[in-house]
Amino acid sequence: MASADGDLLKGPPFEPVYQSSRGPSAYSPLHTFELPKGAERHYQQQYADMYFLRLAQLRSSVKQRAEDAWKDFELGGEKAKMVDRVLDVRQGELCWIVGTVFIEMGLKPNILDDISKEHWIAAPPPREKYLSPSGQDEMMLEDESGRLRITGEALASHYVTGCVLAALGTEQADGSFQVIATQYADLPRQPQRWERDDSALAVSGQKVKQKREKAGKVAIVSGLEITGTLDEDIALDLLIEYLTGELGGSPDQEKAREITRLIIAGNSMSHSSPILSREDFAAQKAGKKHYGYDASNYNSSPSERFDSLLSDILASLPVTLLPGSSDPANVALPQQPLHPALFPQSRQYANPPVESNESREGLDSVTNPWEGDIDGWRVLGTGGQTIHDLLKYVEDVEALTVMEMMLRWRCIAPTAPDTLWCYPFQDDDPLLVKDCPHIYFAGNQTKFGASVIQGPADQQVLLISVPKFSESKMVVLLDMESLAVETVQIGIVRPGPKE
Amino acid sequence: MTENYKEYLAARVLTDNRIVTYRLASRALRVNVNIAKQMLHDFYLTQNANKQKSVHATFLLTGKRRNPEHTNGIHAKDGEDTFMHSSPYMSSLPEPEEPEEEPVPVTSMVLVREEELEKTKAEFEEVTSIHVYSLEPGLIENMNMLSVCNQEIAKDYINENPLEGWKTYGSIHNSYIKRRTAKFAPPPSAAPKSAPKTAVKPSAAGPSKEKETAATATRGSTSEDNTSARSTPQSSSGSNTLKKSDSKSNLKRDRSDIFRSFAKAKAKPKEAEKSKESTPAPPEDEPMQDMSEDEADENDAPEIAFDEQKAAAARKARAEREEKLRKMMEDDDDEEMVDASPTEEKESDDAPLDKAPSGKSEESEAAVTVQGGRRRGRRRVMKKKKVKDEDGYLVTKEEMVWESFSEDEPEPKKPKPAPTKSSTTAAKGKKTGKQGQGSIASFFKKA
Repeated sequence: MASADGDLLKGPPFEPVYQSSRGPSAYSPLHTFELPKGAERHYQQQYADMYFLRLAQLRSSVKQRAEDAWKDFELGGEKAKMVDRVLDVRQGELCWIVGTVFIEMGLKPNILDDISKEHWIAAPPPREKYLSPSGQDEMMLEDESGRLRITGEALASHYVTGCVLAALGTEQADGSFQVIATQYADLPRQPQRWERDDSALAVSGQKVKQKREKAGKVAIVSGLEITGTLDEDIALDLLIEYLTGELGGSPDQEKAREITRLIIAGNSMSHSSPILSREDFAAQKAGKKHYGYDASNYNSSPSERFDSLLSDILASLPVTLLPGSSDPANVALPQQPLHPALFPQSRQYANPPVESNESREGLDSVTNPWEGDIDGWRVLGTGGQTIHDLLKYVEDVEALTVMEMMLRWRCIAPTAPDTLWCYPFQDDDPLLVKDCPHIYFAGNQTKFGASVIQGPADQQVLLISVPKFSESKMVVLLDMESLAVETVQIGIVRPGPKE
Repeated sequence: MTENYKEYLAARVLTDNRIVTYRLASRALRVNVNIAKQMLHDFYLTQNANKQKSVHATFLLTGKRRNPEHTNGIHAKDGEDTFMHSSPYMSSLPEPEEPEEEPVPVTSMVLVREEELEKTKAEFEEVTSIHVYSLEPGLIENMNMLSVCNQEIAKDYINENPLEGWKTYGSIHNSYIKRRTAKFAPPPSAAPKSAPKTAVKPSAAGPSKEKETAATATRGSTSEDNTSARSTPQSSSGSNTLKKSDSKSNLKRDRSDIFRSFAKAKAKPKEAEKSKESTPAPPEDEPMQDMSEDEADENDAPEIAFDEQKAAAARKARAEREEKLRKMMEDDDDEEMVDASPTEEKESDDAPLDKAPSGKSEESEAAVTVQGGRRRGRRRVMKKKKVKDEDGYLVTKEEMVWESFSEDEPEPKKPKPAPTKSSTTAAKGKKTGKQGQGSIASFFKKA
């Protein structure tokens, strides 16, 4: 019974092996972040509309929250009241206002710097943080009428450019608004589990199924960073073998069987971004003109390797693939799905484009950020750029905290379009959180983390920060029944120098 | 099969001095991976019992580790897998929840050489499974070497149906996974094998030819795609040389082959002639002239006088190639093939592959197909090109360029309705001059 206890260090006779099979993964993706195709997609719009939209859509809920909190607030016998426009604030009056935060930061990238770049002798190093070391950053609250400088302890390192908040305070003699307390929109309504599936069933006239199969686990991995070189990291192979259930003895293979879906949260390939830097581009333009496919300026080996890995997994496990910052997708958020032409083998597991709206078992190349229902839970995930960018605004803050605040601000990319590239949305901003997810994950973080946050209406959200696989060799497993998190660590004992 | 594993392993590890992983062994011997692991172990024991240190092994340990931070060699980051708790820093946050200490369970899978096995084992609190991962002829320094075996699997066993693999190899079966029929599949690895000789030639033969193929080949397609694409027209041209006067350059011949097929339809050569006579001779069109000449003389006799025996012998191979190329063409969104009439297909047994390009060159309108809800095709667009002539004047030329498009791009403003129109404009040629060209330009305005 060696195969049962996992000790495979034994010889013949070889026993027949139990064949295991996976359960289904109830999966229905949403297409929230898909941009219009072709000629419908324009880039002429002004970004100002995004801020306007954001404020318009969030104002009522922020106002509601502020009213609940401050309607009986009194300070020195003076009752706080709401002022509609930030420029209508009177000096010395206790009031509260609603607006979008804008922070003027010393080290924030500036478009004018880009233009003056030609005159620099050496470019300054890329910034880790936008915060100026001397702490002279100014914070402002902005609405349609204008801007108001705000100060106060309640603000320090708590807000970033682009989030909408209500601030309670008084205007000082120097014209700045001293803030005592702040309010934000907090978590929106959270759908019930299976809500969309149930309503779909109800609409189609079928009986709403009460009993569903027990859900399995979802594996989340990010930052595979496949280089396509010959000595690719063996950990990648171990990962594939683990997911397909070939690695380890029977106990581990049984555990791997419970996984019913794999989510790849960005940065699957390293250095495969087809967008050249300005210098490279100029150099290439000056060079000889090539017609057709030029192997020298595009290295296809990362995507080929990724394709073969994917097709290995896909025979056994459905995959949801999010692009990331280093993947060959567009750079501006929301990143559109990686094109199936990159995956000549794996795309046979994907639905043909015409049926792309249907749920599927196979390869689903999706947007970043992405939203959808897996086993009834609403899942929201990003490749991690939003969090990286936001972390540049603040100090000593964990990724999980940032993720929590994004949900509470109801905006998963508040710093877009200021410091994060973003499509100029015109009529609707999908980056605003309309339905509170049950699970919110972000890929390519520096370390693993998971926590549960609660909202005012008993919403519970599981936040998961997924580390880069290339650094941590870690896979996050999420039980879709209990929402319990566990990790699988793949290690290689490097034959290092003996100590 | 299960009995000759020793021979296989001996041949691979001892004779060939190559690494073998359990996965590769299971593929090669067609056994379950778990049995392959045991075979590897058995072989490891017997060999090393015969002769010390003749085979080196790596092992895979799974289980719970005691204290990952203190492990030597493992990545430094893996100690940080603690449960992070939300720590709301907002003063106004309603409920600062009580952080409950509940560590996330970590399963470790560690690949280790036999030297470090015992030491690593000691670090485990609980070992759930252990097996031989790979055998190699000697000590290995770089564990990444092992991934070569998996790349070998990917290369050598590509023809196996991955959805059937679970039966033999024991990977986890998923009955919900469906694979589309391999209609759009890249050609199997057999393709380069079948035509390795021809694959080399054409790349050297004609850069212009390559341009053509490059235009049709998908950018992301595998190298097999490219080689098979190139090899096909070359081989057919090779058979043609028998009848040819051979005064033409390689380049011309190549091109002619592409376009030869439209010489077969009776009406078409005339059209080609016309265009030949009247083309205002922009540099792009020059080779086309030669081609139509080729077609003209080839069309009369050589097609019929073609060595029948040879053709019969080559027919089968050609049919295969055709199939492959068709696949590839479809892969390339070249759906014009569908437009080709079945009669034509019968006639042009010699060069069936040329159909797609021929269709393109004759009909200058966009060959649009709606396939799977997507609009794809190829259209001819007028492109302006500024050239400095010998007197130093800037001359703007307009050239027709083929351009593939898909639904992602907007439709051309006025899609050209019929091929007749193009032939008439071509016939008018220079005379119509500006006027006629202007109208074409508006037709093929680049979107």
